[in-house]
Amino acid sequence: MGKLESRNIEKYFTHDGKPLKTLDGIDLNVEDGEFVCIVGPSGCGKTTFLRIAAGLEKPDDGEILLDNQPLNNTGPDRIMVFQEGALFPWLNVQDNVEYGLKIAGIPKEKRNQISHRYLDMMQLTQFATSYTYQLSTGMKQRVAIARALVMEPDVLLMDEPFAALDAQTRDLLLVEMQLIWQKTKKTIIFVTHNVAEAVMLGTRVLVFTHRPGRIKKEFKIDYKRPRISEDENLLPYQQKILAELRPEVKK
Amino acid sequence: MKSSTLAKKIGFYAMIIIVWQGLDSADIWPDNIFPSPVDVVEDLAYGVADASLFYGIGTSLLRLIIGLSIAIAGGLVLGIFMARVETVNQTIGSLVLGLQSIPSIAWVPLAILWFGLTDTGIIFVVVIGAIFAVTINTYTGVKNINPSYIEAARNMGAKEGQLITSILIPAAFPFIISGFKQGWAFAWRGVIGAELLFSFLGLGFLLNVGRQLNDVSQVIAIMLVIMGIGILVDGVVFKKIEDKVMTRWGLR
Repeated sequence: MGKLESRNIEKYFTHDGKPLKTLDGIDLNVEDGEFVCIVGPSGCGKTTFLRIAAGLEKPDDGEILLDNQPLNNTGPDRIMVFQEGALFPWLNVQDNVEYGLKIAGIPKEKRNQISHRYLDMMQLTQFATSYTYQLSTGMKQRVAIARALVMEPDVLLMDEPFAALDAQTRDLLLVEMQLIWQKTKKTIIFVTHNVAEAVMLGTRVLVFTHRPGRIKKEFKIDYKRPRISEDENLLPYQQKILAELRPEVKK
Repeated sequence: MKSSTLAKKIGFYAMIIIVWQGLDSADIWPDNIFPSPVDVVEDLAYGVADASLFYGIGTSLLRLIIGLSIAIAGGLVLGIFMARVETVNQTIGSLVLGLQSIPSIAWVPLAILWFGLTDTGIIFVVVIGAIFAVTINTYTGVKNINPSYIEAARNMGAKEGQLITSILIPAAFPFIISGFKQGWAFAWRGVIGAELLFSFLGLGFLLNVGRQLNDVSQVIAIMLVIMGIGILVDGVVFKKIEDKVMTRWGLR
């Protein structure tokens, strides 16, 4: 029994009037405190799987269980960090971070207390009153992560959150992400197309096949943290994963 | 505004006044048909002195504000409903598009028959003139919201009611504000048009009085006031809000 369990998830989309199988029986067991990375070619359904886990989309077959309870809706126990952040431009940084707390009816004083802790963790304190148009892409993703963390979700679902970042900012955030994970002990499912990123972050890396998406192979990454991108000892992991991934990308 | 732009504007309007005064001095038309700028200013001063002008402006603006407020509230509700419930869009939505093509002045006979020559009748014309512009813009705005805003909010636990106030309205605000702007323009035309036909106080009524008294300078004076208020609301009130919204929402 794991924290989050996926049982035989299947999903079809309609393409040109015909059903197109996107996910083909995803069985996955994520343990409490695990950092699972999913890599796969674009169109392999990895984002769809994450959206199903978040309850933003319904599977055509199978079920998702959280602490052994089947789920059929979205909820703050599984918070998603979107690729483009999806920050609200009409709110400043602090109000963005406090959004979920406000919705939950938590009083202002308590909200401020919680948000300050995470703004501080993400080094955003001095930007608390800035609006999103005043922030760089890297800053925006920090805000998105802080906004997810304040919800103290059981599971954090991250959909290529660093895809739009420049290499330097990404390296920085990849290290920070590991520190946050170590500090908060969150269960994280992280979707990416970047193998190096997956190897740096994951305790386990799953390779998805090209459509329909299936789990082709999984790799345990037992290596000390924080892992940095220039560490050559991570290369063998990357090579093994790439060897599995390459034929899928070419399909 | 850049000083060169301002200079051009001042020059342009000065030229209009000079040409106007020139035409008047040339005595082509009699003074009761073509008054001089001075006549018009005198008329305005007269209206200010006996406060009838302020009373007219106040009456018209009050009707406008009441009507526009109702139109904004109704248009927001209707627009959000249309955007969120497909059946409402397919049914009421098609009716809204049809009704929007009716000029607000065409509602005046119905308003008189239903409400008589009353304030309520004029406000009805204003509401009906403005509500559909607000509705359609709100609908478009909500339809154009980045779906991840809505998903993120639902994911963080927002219920449909919370979604409306905390996401749909603010996210659609750049569109909603242009709905308000169009709504205001229709409302302002509606209130003046209705007052002309209702002949029941307000700036439109003063226009009509000017016509009945053959007082061309009063007619022109009131028209200038109507234009002045239009410029003030468009160029100051809405421009300020729009500038802020456009910057904040990252649209500029």
